[in-house]
Amino acid sequence: MSRFRALLRKLFLWDMLQGLWVTLRYYFSPKVTVEYPEKVQPVPARFKGILRLFRDDQDEPLCIACKMCQNICPTDCFDIEGERPAGARRMRPSKFDWKLGRCTFCGLCVEVCPTDAIRFSPEFRMSSVDKERLFFRLPEMYLQGPELQEKFCGCDRP
Amino acid sequence: MTRPFIFDFLIPVGKIAAVIFYPMVMVVVMIWLERRVVGLIQRRLGPNRVGFQGILQPLADAVKLFFKEDIVPERADRFLFNTAPILVMFSSLLAFCFVPLGEPVRIGSYELKLWVAESPVGLLLVLGLSSIGVFGVIFGGWASNSKYPLMGALRSVVQVLSYEIPVGLTCLTVVFIARSMDLVEIVRRQEAAGVWYGFLLPVSFVVFWISAVAETNRAPFDLPEAESELVAGYHTEYSGMKFAYFYIAEYTHMVLVASLVVVLFFGGWLPPFPGVRALRFLHAVPGFLWYLAKIMFFLYLYVWMRATFPRYRFDSLIKLVWKWLVPLSLVNLLVVAVLRYAL
Repeated sequence: MSRFRALLRKLFLWDMLQGLWVTLRYYFSPKVTVEYPEKVQPVPARFKGILRLFRDDQDEPLCIACKMCQNICPTDCFDIEGERPAGARRMRPSKFDWKLGRCTFCGLCVEVCPTDAIRFSPEFRMSSVDKERLFFRLPEMYLQGPELQEKFCGCDRP
Repeated sequence: MTRPFIFDFLIPVGKIAAVIFYPMVMVVVMIWLERRVVGLIQRRLGPNRVGFQGILQPLADAVKLFFKEDIVPERADRFLFNTAPILVMFSSLLAFCFVPLGEPVRIGSYELKLWVAESPVGLLLVLGLSSIGVFGVIFGGWASNSKYPLMGALRSVVQVLSYEIPVGLTCLTVVFIARSMDLVEIVRRQEAAGVWYGFLLPVSFVVFWISAVAETNRAPFDLPEAESELVAGYHTEYSGMKFAYFYIAEYTHMVLVASLVVVLFFGGWLPPFPGVRALRFLHAVPGFLWYLAKIMFFLYLYVWMRATFPRYRFDSLIKLVWKWLVPLSLVNLLVVAVLRYAL
């Protein structure tokens, strides 16, 4: 009897129809695609985006031009020079050149920085058609968001 | 003086142009439909950027293919290599001449027939013409001078030749019932009988559909172009517009098979249940739209099946046709013949 039923199942293509039913349900299921330029998925908290310099609460630069990052950088991305402004207690960078094109996102500079001045930011849109635009000078190291995109592509990417 | 010229020359030329244009439009729709539907079934969205919901994506792809370099492999047989795509395309387009796209439209005293040619052996011609395509496939595979295309072409030939037998046998049951091989006449007989032949011959329809899917080399029977084994099968070495020809021919063939299923088993341009008096109002909808709706359903079924079923192994593919479909269609043919004679 069970063999007869198995034969009937085959003849009436029962398993095939079941398969079609499954895919039909998936056809109407919610989709997982995030339509990127319009909708951007939030990145995880420890995301290794582009390196940025940060300021403290009083809007003072955190960087003290200790060159620790320059020393540890395995790909020589940095070219830093510092000076002590008259009457100030701390050194300040007078030159902070950074080459995004050389960066491997290893994170050693972030780990070694004594003042947490250099950190990864959540920004992942770093494409450019011009190699010159991947070179950062001191003021550009603080750019974020639309201004950073302006530097990369001369426009605000959506 | 102008009337005969228009009717005898311009209208046939227009119809021929339409018969080339119409499969092309269907191919564009079909490529888009396939990518969208497979995407949606896989919980993706599929192409939805170019034009409304991505409907112009195939055109964008075509433009890309136009500008691609046309490569002929070294030591390939140039003549056959260039002939193959033309042959494949030609065979599937030519068969469309015999497919009735709708019921004749009356314009004044002139009757505009929505098909290019009517022949007493239309069904045979369509099957024959669409089989010429297999020459294109084997020419392409052999002339490429490369092992994957050759393997793909060999598989394709074995598969198409095997599956043509159940296709022919099931078509024969329809011919038995309609007592005609003329595709237009078959639709007319269904109208007179008041029922689509698909309901009279369910076994024929199922066997025909399975074999037709296998004949067009579509999933789950797409072994000739099994990309995980054979790169792209017989058109691996083709690029640019020649590749596009193979691609278009494959989709045109699918449209042709869908049209054939509709004409043979689902009443062509007839509305559902043409014999039921209560449903006479369905005749108000133009026949062409009924035909279009029906072939769209079968084209959707093609895509739906592709997204559902895994590919057959080659031996089970051949086992399926010789141990199941051929005996089944033979028995079916016998039963139909006996019943037709007895009733």
